Amino acid sequence: MLLCIVSLLQVFGLSHFTIFDVSPDAISLLLAFIAVTIGQRAGTSFGFAAGVITGLMSGNMGLSMLARTVEGFIAGFFNIPENSHATSKQKTKRMYWAVMTATFSANAIFAAGYNPLGLSPFYRILVLGLLESLLTLILAFIAKRLLMRKTFSD
Amino acid sequence: MRKFFNVFSRHNTWLLFALYCAISIFFIKLQNDDTITRVRTGGIEFSAFITDKLLSYSYLLNLKQENDRLMQVNTDLLAKVINLDAAVTDERNSRKITADSTLNASSFIMARVVSRRFSDRENMLLIDAGWKKGIRKDMTVLTPQGLVGRVTTVSENYARVMPVIHTDFKVCVVSDKSGSIGVLSWSGGREFVAQMEHVPISSSLKVNEEIVTSDFSTFSARGIPVGRVVRITPDKLFYTVDVRLAVDFSSLNQVLVAPLKIEPEKAVMTSDNTTEEPIP
Repeated sequence: MLLCIVSLLQVFGLSHFTIFDVSPDAISLLLAFIAVTIGQRAGTSFGFAAGVITGLMSGNMGLSMLARTVEGFIAGFFNIPENSHATSKQKTKRMYWAVMTATFSANAIFAAGYNPLGLSPFYRILVLGLLESLLTLILAFIAKRLLMRKTFSD
Repeated sequence: MRKFFNVFSRHNTWLLFALYCAISIFFIKLQNDDTITRVRTGGIEFSAFITDKLLSYSYLLNLKQENDRLMQVNTDLLAKVINLDAAVTDERNSRKITADSTLNASSFIMARVVSRRFSDRENMLLIDAGWKKGIRKDMTVLTPQGLVGRVTTVSENYARVMPVIHTDFKVCVVSDKSGSIGVLSWSGGREFVAQMEHVPISSSLKVNEEIVTSDFSTFSARGIPVGRVVRITPDKLFYTVDVRLAVDFSSLNQVLVAPLKIEPEKAVMTSDNTTEEPIP
């Protein structure tokens, strides 16, 4: 349900706030959060489901599923185990890394598979990918401050 | 078998990932398949429907703002149209005046009537040319149709004109055919009829004769059309002559100001305190 809401929010809301045609990705943030807090398997499965939903809405189903699955899977590497004694700062750092790498990898897969404007791969993957990661990181920073304060406490 | 399950349970995340990737790649491969295309089309239609609804709501929310913006645009355009219309009318009027061959408009100063005060006794015009443009008191104001009046007060950029249809206005006139001389004045009432006084009963003035300014006038040049005789009523010694004025004061908007008639010697000679030179 949350995934559906966030997907709709992303497709119809956040995607309109663009800088150089790049917008922050709320789905990436959610997937990273799930993967970091619950686990890699959950992240991968949620990623797949998110790919199905966004693919249905964007019309690029296969690629969207693949990108989101990879996103959830990669974010899972930054999972914080339940019995972890990590400090709040360490947890937050892991979360941010998960967001950055997941967003960047999803963007790279999208760029490799779908490039309607014929932009150069370097620009598409590196510049726009990094910019999107950065915007999503800012979104993560805001979300952490507003919603995830308890989750990443000591 | 147990080994297989052990491997599966140990690496189930990787396997799950591989499975999902395989499904995704399968969907990518089937990108052009009919069923997939239909699913995609349905998805796009749904997405477009939601976007359309969202846009329509945002359009409704922004309607007042949009209306205000359009109103502002309309106001700006209206102001532009009015300004352009006024400029076109001014240009047309000034062309009409300069095109008239009976007047040498080059020595005249052109001005626009910017204000007027009309009543059945006293009328006054204000023109947008003052001493900066060379306007002086007592200059004659006219149009190609005829005499309008005389300048009474001048400021830097404006001048007040006492028109023919003012009860204090008087000008010496003469009829073009019979040469009958009289003084034109206006006694109030209808703005297109003035009276010509002091026309002796012996005069051969006829209806429909044209009246022009005479050389006797102290301010006006001679020959400026004033009007046409419409009625002659005989009295004991003089005729009472009604003159239909040549200028339509109701639609007057552009005028010419004639240069000042400078005849100091004539003024001295006609004044009462002249000392006559002894005849040699």
